[in-house]
Amino acid sequence: MSPSACARRLPWPTARPRRRRTLIGLTPLIDVVFILLVFFMLATSFLDWRAIEVSVAPDGAGPASPEGALLVEVRPGYVRLSGRPVADGTMLDRVRGRLLERPDQAVIVKPTAGVSLQRTVTVLDLLTGAGVRELSLFGASETVR
Amino acid sequence: MRLAKAPVRRIGSEDDRILPLINVVFLLLIFFMVAGRLAVADPFRVEPPRSADGAADDRGLAVLLIAADGRMALDGEPVEPGALAAIVGKRRPGDVGIKADAAVEAGRVVAALRTLRAAGVERVRLLTVAGRPG
Repeated sequence: MSPSACARRLPWPTARPRRRRTLIGLTPLIDVVFILLVFFMLATSFLDWRAIEVSVAPDGAGPASPEGALLVEVRPGYVRLSGRPVADGTMLDRVRGRLLERPDQAVIVKPTAGVSLQRTVTVLDLLTGAGVRELSLFGASETVR
Repeated sequence: MRLAKAPVRRIGSEDDRILPLINVVFLLLIFFMVAGRLAVADPFRVEPPRSADGAADDRGLAVLLIAADGRMALDGEPVEPGALAAIVGKRRPGDVGIKADAAVEAGRVVAALRTLRAAGVERVRLLTVAGRPG
């Protein structure tokens, strides 16, 4: 079947000699589309959420920390590694050194009073980046009041 | 011979001029519909901490919101911090994400973590936003 024969069979004229007036005005259409656009612009969020697995170290009755775990106390500008204040970079080097000897070295992160969550997450990031797999958070022993 | 020139009234001409505009607006609309994500507004403003790693998976979990001043909300409903254990124990979500403000004291978040664990939640995750802390 040739295309022209096909076109001839159509019930409406395919080649219109003149442009016909559109039945629906374009202005209401644009209004609706603009409103939809504004709605989606305001309602959508482009935040790239991530989820960090956290485990809480046991406390109270048993031993405060598992045998041989490194305790990293987070302070506002530095950290205390096993009781000694060190800078973040030094802490990372020492943790890497320990990981070379024991790849499954457990590390406990303990944020002290007045430390923001951002600072704690940064320290957690550093430790995860250094290759620590056994990472847990430890806080004051109370629950929320 | 004089051809009577009919007044050409082009009704569609003004429509033709705004058609590119409509095309662009439609494209923007489709972009926002496809690329964005509709999210329910949180009951209070929370500026999440930034983190370099973490799995990009935060769907299908109950969300515990912690504001910078310590207010809490579980799945959009404000919760008194003292009543958190009771509510979590009643609803028994298996998987909870904590969406806390970056400026909140870390001890509060750890305390909430501990409460959730004690109430029987198996998996707790800390929700962050990808990026460098700035």
